[in-house]
Amino acid sequence: MATKLARRAVLASALLPTAFAGRARAQSGITLSLWHNHPEWKDRVIAILNKFEAAHPGVHIDLQEMPSSVYVPRMNTALAAGEAPDIIALNAGPNMQSAADAGYVLDLTNRIDVSMLTPPALAASAPRGKIFGVPIMGAYSVALYCNRDIFAKYELTPPTTWDQLIATAKTLKSKGVAPMMIPAQDGTIPGFLYMLIGSSILGEEGVAALRKGSRKLTDPDLVQIAVLLKEAFSYAQPGAIGTAYTEGKALFAMGRAGMMEAGSADYAGFTSTNPKANFTVVPFPAVPGGKPSTVTGMQGVFGVNSRSKHPEEAIAFLQWMLSKPAAQMVIDTITLSTSREVAPSDNRVMKEMVDATKFNDVRVWFEYPEIGKVFPTVAQKAQALFLGELSPEAFSKLLQDTVDPSAT
Amino acid sequence: MRPRSRFSRRYGHLWFVLPGLVVFATFLIYPMAKAFQLSFIDWSGLGASNGFVGLANYREALTSPALYLAAWHNVILFVAILIIQHTLGLFLAVQLNARPRFMEVYRTILFLPVILSLVATGFIWTLMLSPNIGILNPLLEAVGLGFLAGSWLDDPRFALACIVVVQAWNHIGWAVVLYLSGLQNVPQELREAAQIDGANAWQRFWAVVFPLLAPSFTALTVITFIQNIRVFDVVYVLTGPVGAPAGRTDVLGTLVYRTAFGAAGATTADVRLSYAVTLAVIMFVAMLVCISLLVRVLRRREIEA
Repeated sequence: MATKLARRAVLASALLPTAFAGRARAQSGITLSLWHNHPEWKDRVIAILNKFEAAHPGVHIDLQEMPSSVYVPRMNTALAAGEAPDIIALNAGPNMQSAADAGYVLDLTNRIDVSMLTPPALAASAPRGKIFGVPIMGAYSVALYCNRDIFAKYELTPPTTWDQLIATAKTLKSKGVAPMMIPAQDGTIPGFLYMLIGSSILGEEGVAALRKGSRKLTDPDLVQIAVLLKEAFSYAQPGAIGTAYTEGKALFAMGRAGMMEAGSADYAGFTSTNPKANFTVVPFPAVPGGKPSTVTGMQGVFGVNSRSKHPEEAIAFLQWMLSKPAAQMVIDTITLSTSREVAPSDNRVMKEMVDATKFNDVRVWFEYPEIGKVFPTVAQKAQALFLGELSPEAFSKLLQDTVDPSAT
Repeated sequence: MRPRSRFSRRYGHLWFVLPGLVVFATFLIYPMAKAFQLSFIDWSGLGASNGFVGLANYREALTSPALYLAAWHNVILFVAILIIQHTLGLFLAVQLNARPRFMEVYRTILFLPVILSLVATGFIWTLMLSPNIGILNPLLEAVGLGFLAGSWLDDPRFALACIVVVQAWNHIGWAVVLYLSGLQNVPQELREAAQIDGANAWQRFWAVVFPLLAPSFTALTVITFIQNIRVFDVVYVLTGPVGAPAGRTDVLGTLVYRTAFGAAGATTADVRLSYAVTLAVIMFVAMLVCISLLVRVLRRREIEA
């Protein structure tokens, strides 16, 4: 009996400090939960969060990183179940608007200062005039990456027009190098290529006409987008349709192709895979009758859960993330800034990316409700176009059928 | 001691069933009922629903070619893998039943893929089959079969066959273990009696041993059916959410997933959760009917055997 009592006493004394420590933490600090969909950035994001915590003693950000494929179903389920984190990251545009309409996120209008944001970032934050989320992780722009080592070896220069792109691709192919890395298994890269080619022809004004319904993807000059997409695909690496997005990025980082359409947000992943990766970034080449183009989207917009027990602290966190020091860390370590005040401090590739966006930068189409379904439809149907099962005309009609000028 | 009431004597045993029943109802019956309810509304999965739509989701699903194409791929997978399980699996089980040296090692190796993560093995197969960095094409070239090298997961002619190979490799262990346990239960006296009656080895196997393997056959057929109709992970990892190339490997699992959560990582503008749930309900009902028929037919065969 005495032995049993002694054992219990030892166990209880061992547990006591743990119990008090937990209580002390719960009483003295506030924990805000945050889910994010870029596991490859985890260390960089934690470094930024540590800065915030140092500036705000007593507030801890509990970060959970998960891949996008897991993030979307988990976040949607959690929102419906009322178990979403304090800080909710969603795609700008229709996604955040749906969450706002359902009352999942707080209205941040007049509660957060967004005066530093660029017009596209502001438009993404307040599509209907009210702010429900802000792009604290910056923006991403998509352009053309060229492998400098391969280009130097074959004395090539980055293409600025479509004809130059094809000529460069032909040269690389003749040398036994895959000209373009187009991982087409999940359709993401074909989707961005379609937007880049389309944006080269349309520009921001043309995209606005597309949204209003005064231009159609079945217009003869816009059917050319599908024709050129298919032509570009003919210079893709072997097994392109079977190549997953992540595999394609890794292959390109390892120097297995001369060019790849990719975003500023991909650069961190490229250098993680291959620290010696040597790239230059240029706008996507101008297609016949078009201009060089880039497309830019928000790296998600972040709102505050309407069920959060600490909304003020969550808003303070979002506000701090929009500040210059935080935005500088984001742009130096992860992606592009959404603020005009912040420029990359020491990163040639990101500077090239910023320069590339000065020609003809168009907002990613899927952030607009009217044309939001074009991208996922390209993702689903591009393989049929590449295999010749869909003609460019039929492909374009499928896409046009998803356009809804009445959607807001 | 108070005598047990008539009610207690009659229904007292149900208390033992209650915990399991509660768990079953909470985690299976309730979600299924909820899913059934969801299939009658129009909801993307995020935000407010667009309200009750009656049978519109069912009408759309049952007239959608994508559903039938995906289901057809599931059937192809089931039939192909069933044949492999009942031939190669049985052959390997018969070899192991002869108790060769290192039998335990062989059995472990054959069963190992069953316990490995399908996602992990799927990734390994993706890398092996890759025309850029895979080992299959260099291997073929090394043995003088370079003309066979190709883009395996890229080619509409071979993509589904690749899924069959990977799925069969993953599940062959079930066939071996089930048949081996069946073989080990066949009484030696029956074989000896057949031998005395003049039956040769082949006749002994087909006339004596094989009919007694009917329970293993039934179990394996039902397991193979379930595994291949609800297959998702291997297909998703090998050929992606749209069932590359151009839907040639699309199965019901990827169709439901893609509809519920989107095909492109950058946006979820195309998600339709309640429609995906409708597809899943149709899949569930179809499986229920097929399995009921399958079990009825196979049980009759067992009795006849």
